[in-house]
Amino acid sequence: MPGEEYPNINDRVPDGVKPNGGHFKIMVVDDSMFVTKQLTQILTSEHYEVVAIAENGEVALEKYKSLYPDVDLVTMDITMPKMDGIECLKKIVEFDKNAKIIMISAIGKQDLVKESLLIGAKNYIVKPLNRNKVLERIQNALS
Amino acid sequence: MRLEYINPFVEASCEIIQEVLGIEVEKEELFLKETTVPILGVAVLIGLTGSVRGRVLIDMNIDTALKVATVMNFGEEFKVFNDLAKATITELSNMIGGRAITELHSEGFSFQVSPPTIFTGTDMEVSSPHLEAFIVPLKTPFGRIEINVAVKEREDN
Repeated sequence: MPGEEYPNINDRVPDGVKPNGGHFKIMVVDDSMFVTKQLTQILTSEHYEVVAIAENGEVALEKYKSLYPDVDLVTMDITMPKMDGIECLKKIVEFDKNAKIIMISAIGKQDLVKESLLIGAKNYIVKPLNRNKVLERIQNALS
Repeated sequence: MRLEYINPFVEASCEIIQEVLGIEVEKEELFLKETTVPILGVAVLIGLTGSVRGRVLIDMNIDTALKVATVMNFGEEFKVFNDLAKATITELSNMIGGRAITELHSEGFSFQVSPPTIFTGTDMEVSSPHLEAFIVPLKTPFGRIEINVAVKEREDN
C-alpha cells in the first residue's frame, strides 16, 4: 500500500526482547565499577534491562530475593568482598532452583569452573569480556 | 625465586594488554632488585598465597594509566584519575593476575590471589623484606608498564 511502512526483513529483534515484546531482566553482580559499566553497556545495547547491580554476594542475595521472580538471569563475579560469587550462587540456587546464573571471572581454573557448574551455574565466562561471547552465553542460558 | 613463577605473570601481562588495549607490547630486559623499589605513580598490588608467599605489582605512571583507562572505556577521555579510572586499572590487573593463576594451576602449582588493591601517589616505594623482586618492564605506545613479582616458596611445604 502506498505510504504504508513495512519492516525491513533484515531487521532483527534484539536478543534482550522477549517474544511478548517485554525485555529480559538481568542482575549484574561485580565489585568493580568498571565491569558493571561494561556489562551494562553490552546488555543494554541488545535491549536487555539491567534491573539491579550488586557489589557483593550479600547485596546480590538480598536484591535477588526482593526482586524475585522478576530476574531472568544473573551475571556473577567470583572474587568479591563479604560474600563471594560461589557462596552467593549456592544461596540463590537454594532459594530458587530455576535461577539462571552465569559466572564471570578473571580466573579460569578448571576446578572453579566445574564447581560452579555442579552447583547450578548455567555457564562460565573468563575475562576479558568480549561482547559477542557475553551475548551468546546469555542468549543460550535464556533459551 | 623460580622463573616458572615469574613467566606466567609476564606472559599474561603481555597477552591481556594486547587483547584489551589492542596495542603492541615489547618486553625489555628483566632485572632483579633485593631492596626497596620506587614505584611509578599508579600501582596495583595482588597478594599471592597458597604454596608460596609474595606479591605482584603492576606499576605505571599516571599518564599511562589515564591512556589505558581511556581505551578500556571505549574512548571516554580521563583527565583526572577518578574512581572509574582506578576501577579500570584495577580490573586490568585483575585480568592479568587471573590469567597467570589459571596458567600456574594448569602447570600444577597451587596459588591463590587476593583481590587487587590500587595505590596512587608520588614518591612511593615498595619494600618486601626477605623477598627478591624480579621486574620486567613492558614498553607500550602508552608508556612503560612494569611487572614486579616477588615470590617465595613457603618453608612449611
